[in-house]
Amino acid sequence: MINKTLKHAAGLGLAVLMLGATAVSAKTLVYCSEGSPESFTPAMNGTGTSFDANRPVFDKLTAFERGGTNVGPGLATSWDVTDGGKTLTFHLRKGVKFHSGVNGFKPTRDFNADDVLFSFNRQWKDTHPYFKVSGGKYDYFNDMDMPALLDTIEKTDDYTVVMKLKEPNMPILANLAMDFASIHSAEYADMLLKAGKPEQFDQIPVGTGPFSFVAYQKDAMIRFKKNPDYFGEKALVDDLVFAITPDPTARLSKLKAGECHFAIAPRPADLEEIKKDKALSLISQSGLNVSYWAFNTEKPPFDKKEVRQAFNMAIDHDALIKEVFLGSGSSAKNLIPPTLWSYNDKVPAYSFDPEKAKAMLKAAGVTTPLEIDLWYLPVQRPYNPNGKRMAEMMQADLAKIGVNAKLVTYEWGEYRKRMQKGEHMTGQLGWTGDNGDPDNFFFLRGCAAAKGGLNVTKWCNKEYDDRLNKAKSLSDIKERTKLYEEMQVIEQQEAPDMKIAHSIVFEAMRAEVKGYKQSPFGSHEFQGVDVK
Amino acid sequence: MIKFILRRLFLTLPTFVALMFVTFIAIRLVPGDPVEVRTGEHGISPERLAYFRHELGLDQPVWKQFLDYVWNLLHGDFGVSLSSNVKVLTEFLTLFPATLELAFAGMLFAVVLGVPAGVIAAVKRGSWFDHTLMGAAVAGFSMPIFWWGLLLIMLVSEGWGLTPVSGRIDMIKYYFEAPTGFMLIDSLLSGQKGAFLSAVHHLVLPMIVLGTVPLAVIARMTRSSMLEVLSEDYVRTARAKGLSEFRVITLHALRNALIPVVTVIGLQVGGLLAGAVLTETIFSWPGVGKWLIDSIGRRDYPILQGGILLISFLVILINLFIDVLYGAINPRIRHGA
Repeated sequence: MINKTLKHAAGLGLAVLMLGATAVSAKTLVYCSEGSPESFTPAMNGTGTSFDANRPVFDKLTAFERGGTNVGPGLATSWDVTDGGKTLTFHLRKGVKFHSGVNGFKPTRDFNADDVLFSFNRQWKDTHPYFKVSGGKYDYFNDMDMPALLDTIEKTDDYTVVMKLKEPNMPILANLAMDFASIHSAEYADMLLKAGKPEQFDQIPVGTGPFSFVAYQKDAMIRFKKNPDYFGEKALVDDLVFAITPDPTARLSKLKAGECHFAIAPRPADLEEIKKDKALSLISQSGLNVSYWAFNTEKPPFDKKEVRQAFNMAIDHDALIKEVFLGSGSSAKNLIPPTLWSYNDKVPAYSFDPEKAKAMLKAAGVTTPLEIDLWYLPVQRPYNPNGKRMAEMMQADLAKIGVNAKLVTYEWGEYRKRMQKGEHMTGQLGWTGDNGDPDNFFFLRGCAAAKGGLNVTKWCNKEYDDRLNKAKSLSDIKERTKLYEEMQVIEQQEAPDMKIAHSIVFEAMRAEVKGYKQSPFGSHEFQGVDVK
Repeated sequence: MIKFILRRLFLTLPTFVALMFVTFIAIRLVPGDPVEVRTGEHGISPERLAYFRHELGLDQPVWKQFLDYVWNLLHGDFGVSLSSNVKVLTEFLTLFPATLELAFAGMLFAVVLGVPAGVIAAVKRGSWFDHTLMGAAVAGFSMPIFWWGLLLIMLVSEGWGLTPVSGRIDMIKYYFEAPTGFMLIDSLLSGQKGAFLSAVHHLVLPMIVLGTVPLAVIARMTRSSMLEVLSEDYVRTARAKGLSEFRVITLHALRNALIPVVTVIGLQVGGLLAGAVLTETIFSWPGVGKWLIDSIGRRDYPILQGGILLISFLVILINLFIDVLYGAINPRIRHGA
């Protein structure tokens, strides 16, 4: 039973009671989260809710700066790039301790290269003893194309790991800062395997992070305590509690009543009320995502650049943002959101001009009325709260320039598959960034993705694609930035899609919470956060 | 009596088979499969999709999947959750005490208030109390639970600060192990000062919200049943014998009037579990209702199949218990059936 395993996890009996008793005087930060994590092994999870619940416990080789997308040292203090970008040599941090006392585990050694090999090989090698434990779904490892990128991972000594790649790929450094690349204790894994309880590995986590795991009660709470030995930015509170509160109205009420200090995802309708409340504070920034309306450039008349540009001018952007996003979206002109490095603010946005659009269609030889299909999202996504409503508004705008749009949709899995095959003429889709590297967005308009499916515009432009591939192999950020800026200009002119919006992510907290930094990834981190 | 119980148990068998079949088929009719539904814009490669479908047995014909499922079930294996990889029975047993605690409190609230209120309304038929109570009962019965819960939170918790907003215990002040899963008991066992009161405090609003509909039903039922009984000859006889009005009502009238009320209570149990889904969501109560709803979105077949079966089993069991109780109160049913 979970209860039983959690008993062990918490160190059971007296120790736990003492902890509970001392909790009264200790400083506790309560975060009202929205749901239970899938597991406590980040590599097996796929939702932000789960990653948030795992993150306090773990570190990765590289790390995103708190509140940003820049990649810096994590469990690796430095790395060398050699062999034309194909070999990465990581120098590991010394003296890092794994959490002690969780689930009866007492580490006998510090973190070293064996833990790195364990954490990656588990997801990679189907002969690994842990590969199939707990279902063996390593979605992110595969989604980030790690099996295709990695050639070998080996240790040369206890504190040096060499990663050989099949081809140069600098964005991999950002991949390694992602949650799926969290480093686990190989010693803990061995202990559980010997005890015949390997599944506990994914339920009771041991890591090196700023907080150590204390207890989890499904759908109720997750409890962590400060790791006093942490090597990085230390926790400023003694206890961190995730109070699982699925209903957004209840979350706000709890926040107001002081039952939690921080609440995820306030409802757009509640934003005004939060702003007015002096006991609360509200922060916001663009989410790491984009929604767009893709034109299938393989299907006439969308094979013509001028037609695509005309369609960009036919839609009233501001109305979409206002009506569909209800204040929780900002108009997009580039594929990447403004929080990402290399965002080119000089790229002009298309203005709403139906008359000009009409004239451009005529000049391009398109006769109206033109019949097209417009596929709309069947599900809510972070970048599009209501695909149908949006499609209806677009349909009305299109009618004004003599275009009759037929609205089409399918079940989500089917929708995605058919679009990737290019069955649509035009359709809504979007993207949520994974690793904060611009390549993770720009590849969506690359030629490889057009073939592979994810580029649903099927647009393949040599000028764009050459720059995309070159940028991937460069380790100099300035050079990469220049190429990405140029790509944004090319894309604006070629208009394979109409960019719609980036969502705006709001976070609500009590005024006494200090030091919180909003993450562009939409993730939540609590080291360095205090309750005054 | 044993024969009676066995016969009733036997009669529930077809219900189980039907339930098993319906949940099994229904969840598979919902578009999207469990592997694909959790993938985002990335999608999943056909090879990996095939691999997982095979691992989960989803590549087998549906009839084979069903037979496997029944076979495992007969061996007490409810399967493993597709999302958390924890055994369905384990998850159920972890979460069910919370639902049971809430449902029990709600029912207690409904019975303790509903029966006396119904009796008084019947005795004082036509009085202002009667009219107010019946008006309130209609309101209570027709109130959407979600709205009622949020209204109470805003008024009682936010406005007046009398009760906590949600959860089962003050997480800032208290932390202890939960060996039984029943917060009232665990808080007592913890020995921490004030923990039990905090648990009671947290239970008040959810209990009222969940108990409101059964309260209205029970009050109305008690009233009408009492009215009927009060006009019976034996009540007049009891009065003629010179018994006090209190004894006449509690001993002679109420006992007989309770027979239909007990049946209604049994029928309310199913409704109570349905209400628990909403109440649990509003009050962040970690019970099985919320668990089942989440598993629909995730197409977590084993949880849905196992969870619904387990809950149905309990509802059937409770109704069986009510039937037995009914038979005990009214021997005519036991012998006549």
